[in-house]
Amino acid sequence: MNKIAKLFVTFISAITLALVSFTSSFAKVEGEYIVLGSAISLTGKYSSNGVHTQNGYNMAVERINKMGGVEVQGKKYKFEIIYYDDESNPKRAAQLAERLIKQDGVHYMLGPYSSGLTKAIAPVTEKYKIPMVEANGASRSLFTKGYKYLFAVLSPANQYLEVAIDLAVEKNGGKGVKIAQAFEQDAFSQDVRLGILDAAKRTGSEIIIDDKLPKELNDMAATLAKVKAVKPDVLVVSGHTKGALTAIRQISEMKVDVPMLAMTHCDAAKLSKQHGKKSEFALCASQWHKNLSYKDKFFGSGKKYAKDFQKEFGYDPPYQSAESSAALLVFKDAFERANSFDRDAVRDALVDTEMQTFYGNIKFGPGGQNVAKPMILFQVRCKGDDCENRVVAPTKWASDKFYHPIPKWSERS
Amino acid sequence: MEKVKQKDLILYSGLIILGLAAPYLFSAFKVQLTYLCVLIVLAMTWNLQGGEMGYNTFGNILFYGLGMYLTASVQVGMFFPLAEWTESGGEKTFVHTTAQYFQGIGVGLLVAAIIPTIIAGAIGYAILGLRGHYFAICTLGLGIAAGEIAGGIEIIGAGQGFTTPPFPAEIVDAEARGKFFYFLSFVLLIGTFVFVKYIYGSRFRLILNAIRDNEDKAEAMGIQTMKYKIVGWMCSAFFCGLAGGIMGGLIGYIDSTDVAFDGREMGVFMVLMAILGGKGTLWGPVIGATLFHFFKEGLWTLILGWQYVALGVLIVVIVVYFPEGLMGWLREKYPERFGEVIDEKDRKAQVELK
Repeated sequence: MNKIAKLFVTFISAITLALVSFTSSFAKVEGEYIVLGSAISLTGKYSSNGVHTQNGYNMAVERINKMGGVEVQGKKYKFEIIYYDDESNPKRAAQLAERLIKQDGVHYMLGPYSSGLTKAIAPVTEKYKIPMVEANGASRSLFTKGYKYLFAVLSPANQYLEVAIDLAVEKNGGKGVKIAQAFEQDAFSQDVRLGILDAAKRTGSEIIIDDKLPKELNDMAATLAKVKAVKPDVLVVSGHTKGALTAIRQISEMKVDVPMLAMTHCDAAKLSKQHGKKSEFALCASQWHKNLSYKDKFFGSGKKYAKDFQKEFGYDPPYQSAESSAALLVFKDAFERANSFDRDAVRDALVDTEMQTFYGNIKFGPGGQNVAKPMILFQVRCKGDDCENRVVAPTKWASDKFYHPIPKWSERS
Repeated sequence: MEKVKQKDLILYSGLIILGLAAPYLFSAFKVQLTYLCVLIVLAMTWNLQGGEMGYNTFGNILFYGLGMYLTASVQVGMFFPLAEWTESGGEKTFVHTTAQYFQGIGVGLLVAAIIPTIIAGAIGYAILGLRGHYFAICTLGLGIAAGEIAGGIEIIGAGQGFTTPPFPAEIVDAEARGKFFYFLSFVLLIGTFVFVKYIYGSRFRLILNAIRDNEDKAEAMGIQTMKYKIVGWMCSAFFCGLAGGIMGGLIGYIDSTDVAFDGREMGVFMVLMAILGGKGTLWGPVIGATLFHFFKEGLWTLILGWQYVALGVLIVVIVVYFPEGLMGWLREKYPERFGEVIDEKDRKAQVELK
């Protein structure tokens, strides 16, 4: 037993040494760098959107740094981001937020991808009074908790597809419609569902299928079989990227005819590229589209952003990337207006944010959500085999008319 | 015997002092230290089944998740209408006063210890008749099913998740929350260790070992194996429930499959940690969990994106080179240090035989 005790003492002292050597202190502002922290899903079920988010952040960091950086008290600073992989797991995300703040000394945070992970991180940033500008947590429950240090550049999730129901009702001559819906079991998708429930109530529509989809989403045949049987007017599906891909794949395989298909995450899933004509006529909610007429001096217009992004990363930017880039523009603006690195001064500056970016207008409501920007709807339209997302609502930016109803599969070539 | 105990005493008091001082020495690492305590508890309790009893369970995550949901539900439900707290993904926010928060978590943890224990008894009665792989697969199903079921129950937030009550705002000290959860988990760790150590010195352990080595013979000896198997599992459930309750409060957000019934991570980790350290030993799971946690925290961020590949390699290395875990390996290498008397003549004779 004595030897074991010795072994233990060695072991414990090794750990102690390791821990002590770990505690090298970082600072919020290091030399000419302003260090931001972010836990992002690089692996796991949100990895594709996590990468979109990270690309958006990186693109903005590079651009802002190249164009002179952030000027605070007459000195130029550059942005730098410390990333960790949260593995698409809220538990890990909360732990990493703690780590970024306590061990890496980060004083300003960028959000993770998805509402669930933002929900896990927000209590931590709130506790340490760390301002967090997030671009991918849309669940409206984030904005009713009274968080003071949380700022979201996007519109709440319940607004995503409400407009789609209004459109369907309008096409139905103002009468209520029959809705079939299937949502992933996660914070974001369930919030989209709440929006639909509200819209259905408001328009006198009836929900005839209300299914839940598992988190590891790769099959929704059961829901689609029901849809085939009961023939709803609208089919609503939301389940991040996998939800959009699964829906299109199985709808085309099972030849499900439904007059209107409303979804989320079509652009993140690169639907028009991956599924081409099969995805035609899908109606998608989006926070942003490159054809919108917003502008700023860093990225120019949405179209220019899309072009630069394409050059850098090799694909068309989904809104997840655009809003992530916008988050950094917000931070830059806030730092310069605060003209200080005091967290509370920066936080107060964030509260007063009122600006236009290529991504849209940004102004934060009392709960921290962006109240200055509407959601848009686009529809996938094809010319030959070349498919594109065309904005159909709101009318201000609509480049195309909303095509309704979707032709039957037997009539589609 | 007495002499050994005295030496142990030095070791234990040293560890306790280290444990008490840790959150002050390594203030920035409080959350990781809390995780470490919880991981050790999970590994030690898994070892009771997997190591001592020979029943490889993947079901302990069930009690962990239950404990998490129960603590949070009680903590909210004691003072406010729970349905309104979770409705629409937690839109309404009630604020716990300091007293309410601590009363809530206290009662919540109590419930989180008792109910999983009862459930373990009930489920154990139903499925502990299964042996070997059948038991393992059955318990694997339990955890997955629980996650899916919890994801459909509206009153605990369903797919939206459950935001646990925030730490009382009246306590201004930002470090207080970390300390509170650390000491809570440390007390749990000590409690678990003392309990498991007590079991190691008891007849109960011998019975569990008998079940592991040959259940039929044990039965033939007149041992009511079913009874002991159930009681063993209930003991594990008690501590797993408490561990879950603490983690729920610490994380602040409960998600049905990713946080609570997280069989894919926690459920696998607890098995891995016990095997890494050496199952069927008192210290094995402790060492295994500590090493594993350090490996995970220290290296994972260095190999961003490849961490699960590294974990896979680690599992392979453990299974191939340390099938008996670190403690087993040490024991084989230095049997004398484990108090095993080796008869040199006998050893030589065996070598010649080979």
